[in-house]
Formats: sequence, C-alpha cells, structure tokens
Amino acid sequence: MSYTLVVAEVRRGLFEERNLDTLGLAHLLGKEIRLLAPAGAPGEGEKFCNAVIKVEASETDFQNPLTMVRVLEKVIEGGGRPGAILFTSSSSGIELASYAAGVLDLPLITDVSGFDMERAVFLKSYYSDKIFGEFRPGEGTFAVTVRSGSFKDYATEKGGAASVGTIDGIATDPARTFIEYVEEEKGAIDITKADFLLSVGRGIGSKDEIAGYEELAGLLKAVLSGSRPVIDKMWLPKPRQVGTSGKTVKPKVYLAMGISGAFQHIAGMKDSDCIIAVNKDPEAPIFQYAHFGFVGDANKLRDKLKDIAKG
Amino acid sequence: MNLLVFTKRVPATQEEELRIVDDGRRVDLSKVPFKINDWDNYAVEAAIRIAESAGGAVTAISMGDGESDEVLRRAIAMGAKDGFLVRMESAIEDPMARATIAYNFLRKESVPFDAIFTGVQSEDDQFASVGGILAAKLGLPYASMVVGIDAFEQDHAIIRRELEGGLQERVRILLPCVLAIQSGINEPRYVSIMGIRKASKVERRVFGADAYQEGSRTMIDLVRWVYPPKKGGASMLEGDLEAVGKGILGILREKGVYQ
Repeated sequence: MSYTLVVAEVRRGLFEERNLDTLGLAHLLGKEIRLLAPAGAPGEGEKFCNAVIKVEASETDFQNPLTMVRVLEKVIEGGGRPGAILFTSSSSGIELASYAAGVLDLPLITDVSGFDMERAVFLKSYYSDKIFGEFRPGEGTFAVTVRSGSFKDYATEKGGAASVGTIDGIATDPARTFIEYVEEEKGAIDITKADFLLSVGRGIGSKDEIAGYEELAGLLKAVLSGSRPVIDKMWLPKPRQVGTSGKTVKPKVYLAMGISGAFQHIAGMKDSDCIIAVNKDPEAPIFQYAHFGFVGDANKLRDKLKDIAKG
Repeated sequence: MNLLVFTKRVPATQEEELRIVDDGRRVDLSKVPFKINDWDNYAVEAAIRIAESAGGAVTAISMGDGESDEVLRRAIAMGAKDGFLVRMESAIEDPMARATIAYNFLRKESVPFDAIFTGVQSEDDQFASVGGILAAKLGLPYASMVVGIDAFEQDHAIIRRELEGGLQERVRILLPCVLAIQSGINEPRYVSIMGIRKASKVERRVFGADAYQEGSRTMIDLVRWVYPPKKGGASMLEGDLEAVGKGILGILREKGVYQ
C-alpha cells in the first residue's frame, strides 16, 4: 500500500505554517499521509495526517541534507517506498529535496503551485510566473516542493495520527554542521508597522532614482520599502525588504512602483488592504494581485505625483 | 585552490511578452534578448573573491549552445582563469538530466576542484536544484542559499545560509563541497565591453555534451506550457499621467493614508 511522505519544516521550535501546503497537496494525492518530523516538534500538523514518524534528531540535523537522506533511507527500509515525498518550497525544503532526489535518484519538481487531479499533472512556475509548465513525474517515487500558500485550504483533518513510529541512530554529519542561528540587524524603521508603504523594484532603473522616491515618500507621508533586487543591489538597506526573505507586511496601502511581482515578493505583501501597482509590463504578475494598476513608467509617474502633491 | 563556477545564459524575460506556440509545446523566445543568469553573476564574483584572497584559480563552466561562450568570456573578464563550454543544442528542462551531464563531465574529464559554485537558481526554469543533485551525485556536502562566506580555509568553510523572514543559519562545511550562491551576497564587479572583448583571447575549451549522457534521462515529462492562472486582476487606471496621478492620490485619500 503506497503512501505520501510529508517532510515537516520546523524552525526554532515552530511548525512552519507552509507545512499546511504540503499537507494540503498530500490530501489531494489521496493516499495515506505519513508526516516525518523531528522528535521535539510541536504536534499541530499531526491531525492532518494518518501517521507520524518521529526522528530522534535536533531540528537542525533533521534539516541538514546530509542527514535527511539517511533518515529517508531508514523510512524506506522500515515502511517501504512512498509514492511521493513532499517538501516545503523554502530555503531548506528545496535544499533537502534536491539533495535527496540526487541520492535516491527521484524525479523532482520544485515550486509546485497547482495540481490537476484528473490529469495527474503538477503546475510549476517558469520565467518569474509569466509561464507555467505542466509536469508529470516518471515511474516510481517522486519528490515535489510545494509553494507556500498554494494548497493550505486543502489540508484536511484525518482524525489524528493513528500510529507513531520512531527513527533513531541519526548522528550529526561532520561534513556539514550547524553552528548557530543569526538574526538580521534591525533597522531604525520597522516597515511592518507602516500604514502606507511606497515600495520600489528593479523597474526604477538605477540607484540614482531612489532620492526621488524618498522625496515622494516624504510628501505622501509614506515609508519607503523595496523588493529583493533593490536590496541585492544595495539601493536600499536590508531591513526595508518586503518578501519571504525579508518582511511580511500588511499596510492599509501598498503602492508598488517598478515591481514585477516575483512570487517571493507577492507572498510578503498580498494581504495588504489595498495594493496599487505601477509597471511598464502589462503582463507583470503583480497586476494579478493588485486592486488598482497602471501600465507605464514608474519614474515619470513619481515625478507627476510629486508635482501634484506639492500643489 | 581550484574553484569551479557554473554559469548559464538565460532569456531576459522581465519585460518581454512571452507567447506559447506549437499547441503548448514551446515558448517562443526568438525575440527575447539573452544575458547571464543573475544568480550566477553573484556566484562568479564569490568564487573570484575567494581565489583572490586565499589564492587559487577559477574555471567557469557553461552548459548550453555555442552562444553560451558569451557568459564564459564575461566570467573571464571578471577574473576567471579559463572557461569550459559543455555544448548542447537544446535546453534541458529536467534538473536531474542537467546535473547528470555535469557530473559525467567532471568525472570523465577529471576536472580537479576544491569547491564548486552555482547560482541558487536560474531565472528561466527556477528549479533551484541542479547544485543539490550534482553534490549528491558527487557524494559531497552541499549548502544552498549562501548569503555569506565568513571563512574559506584549505579544508573547510564557514558560511551563512538565508532562511526566511530575515533569519540565517551559520554552518561549517568541509571541502570539497558544492555551494549554491544567493543573490545579494556581494556586489559583482563591473565588466566593460572592452574587458569581455579582451577575454576572447583567453582559451575556452569546448566539449560536446553527447559524450556525457550516461545515466542521464529525463525523469519528468513536460506535458504542456500554460499561461498563469488568472486571479481577480487589477482595476486599471487609464488616461494621461495627470489623471492617473490624481486618481492615485484620490485612492490614498479614500483609504485614509493621505490628506
């Protein structure tokens, strides 16, 4: 009897919310669900699966690709091969999935955001969400990483985990060892507290344009933030970053200028009360999430807004 | 120290309209300009900085068609010693097949290395998995989402991995290893057209990918390409800049964030 193995993501003792997306997709796959989690992990995911396999290891060893492959080998040894192994589509989830796929020789589809049950095809983003590919894995056990927010509504209670198994004897691998968690430095301004964010992206063109946006933010009493490329290029400091690797924000108004809307950015701002997007590209994914949109040059509109605001 | 860095030439699709053709079998990229994969640019810079500070040489490797020579010349202009092109005429969608060819190439040609650098992902397919699969096949330790290299010694490195929400983990990893570099780790140096032209004088070796196919098979089938699922969509503001500007200020007033 085949089953779906869900690899839990646990960080600093928290059962990450995106685990509900892997559990949701697991429900759609329609087979028995076994959750693989480190022994000390909180149990909130357990009601969504049929069985739990606890691994006697720290969360950081559990989420180390070198040790995870040994865990998976033991799972297969004890319980047979699963039909599918599901990971979160996160920093660690993709790292674990790709390494495991390489060792165990599994077909792998990452960043899956849709599943067509009748045709048994998985939807995966290409070209920053401008095109999607429908993929079908080959024969045997396959691995998938699941995009956060895509399947959580499908996570279904199974009446609690009926059985609990344990895996032990997993030692830290000296080839890669965890040292410590590091928190990013705090900025003077907390963008998560702002009612009105003026957020800029790659589309503004260059660092020289930032001063004009700072001026506009001052006139509108908005706080200036940015998307990943703007932070990577050091046009704005890291504490101003909106997105999965930066801050998740929910302001009353999110005015996005020159941001095309990579998924990691969308995940950090989609719950804002009102999203206004300005972008040259009418196909930019951000228009799918915005309440109001304008197709045009962000810098020209910025200058016009400044003129109007100055009266 | 011998450092290898994989670099890929990708379509710059940010502001391009993409069309699906041939009944969903193909995405038309014929009018799209190509460029170096953004993540690989950071990976090349990271490898060169280590070679400069710890001593050693960087070899850039690209898997792609003849045009990919461009990203090798670019890496050489940035400071790589030489470049290898593993030439294949068509793009491979399956990260498993790509990683297997890379693995076979390194083994068959006995390419020496102390560490391999890749970008976290390529902008086109976003699989973010070739580095991990390659490391697994080589039996080497792997770390992805590397946003900091705090130490790089003969036998180990201390690196920082980016997790979510501003959290990082510091990790000790033994060499040889495979590191997938995240964007923003450094400020890649500027390369001039002149520098790239001068790099043409440095030898780049070309290898045919046909020789490295052993065990390489496509494990996932692309059924078809589709456009993104439509959500609600925005209510679009029309008119000249003056009208749009006033419209936006009106929305801000209505939402109570601007007087």
